[in-house]
Amino acid sequence: MKPMGLTSTPFISYHNIKVKDIDLFEDAWGLNSEFCDVIDLLGQIKAVPGRRLTKRLIEKIRKQD
Amino acid sequence: MISDYELIMRFIKGEQSCFEQLIHRHKNKVFAYISLYIRDQALAEDIFQDTFLKVIQSVKAGKYYDNGKFISWVMRIAHNLIIDHFRRIKQMNTISNDNYESDLFNSKRFAEDNIEDDMIKRQIQKDVRRLISHLPDDQKEVVILRHYAGLSFKEIADITNVSINTALGRMRYALINMRKIMEEKKITLTLN
Repeated sequence: MKPMGLTSTPFISYHNIKVKDIDLFEDAWGLNSEFCDVIDLLGQIKAVPGRRLTKRLIEKIRKQD
Repeated sequence: MISDYELIMRFIKGEQSCFEQLIHRHKNKVFAYISLYIRDQALAEDIFQDTFLKVIQSVKAGKYYDNGKFISWVMRIAHNLIIDHFRRIKQMNTISNDNYESDLFNSKRFAEDNIEDDMIKRQIQKDVRRLISHLPDDQKEVVILRHYAGLSFKEIADITNVSINTALGRMRYALINMRKIMEEKKITLTLN
């Protein structure tokens, strides 16, 4: 009988698992891998407030005080 | 990193810059959420500003109780302002929001591309918006909160008052539906 464990894959430590910016629930459901085509399409839209808008808002708030 | 709650406390004590930090921290999520519902850019900008002004009012009135969910609370305020807007439109019986043409994506990045690419990108964005608008409201909300506001499913579950599993289920149905519409309408995914 062969000894066990000689050819098995070594365990990786918890710290080697990338979890930053990953929603673990979403990951568990496999949504990103199953629907990568649709998700890529959703990524075509970027909506970011312009600098001027943010500046205007901050000025408004400062005036209120 | 200083927590949202600590920034709020410091703002209440008079440190104005702390609220500005909160704006910079959350502005993209809030704006993305609003602008996916409101196509008219000027109106989306107004609601964006009103959201933060209302947040300040409520914070100063002692209406915010920290439970580690500041962004969820802000989103709920934005959501209510969006609903108010649609209610007003309905009452006034004016033209639909769909009739506005958004210029949201007229960013510098696009200006560097050639006109043809720019046109294709705009077409894709129009298609994506249309795709999202075809979804049932509960599915649309999850898609916007996750992919444009960047919230986690835990936060989405909090905002929409459902379990995490329900939120995930709605997302799954939304993605299935969108794929179906894409196939039916033969929507091209990317630029060639």
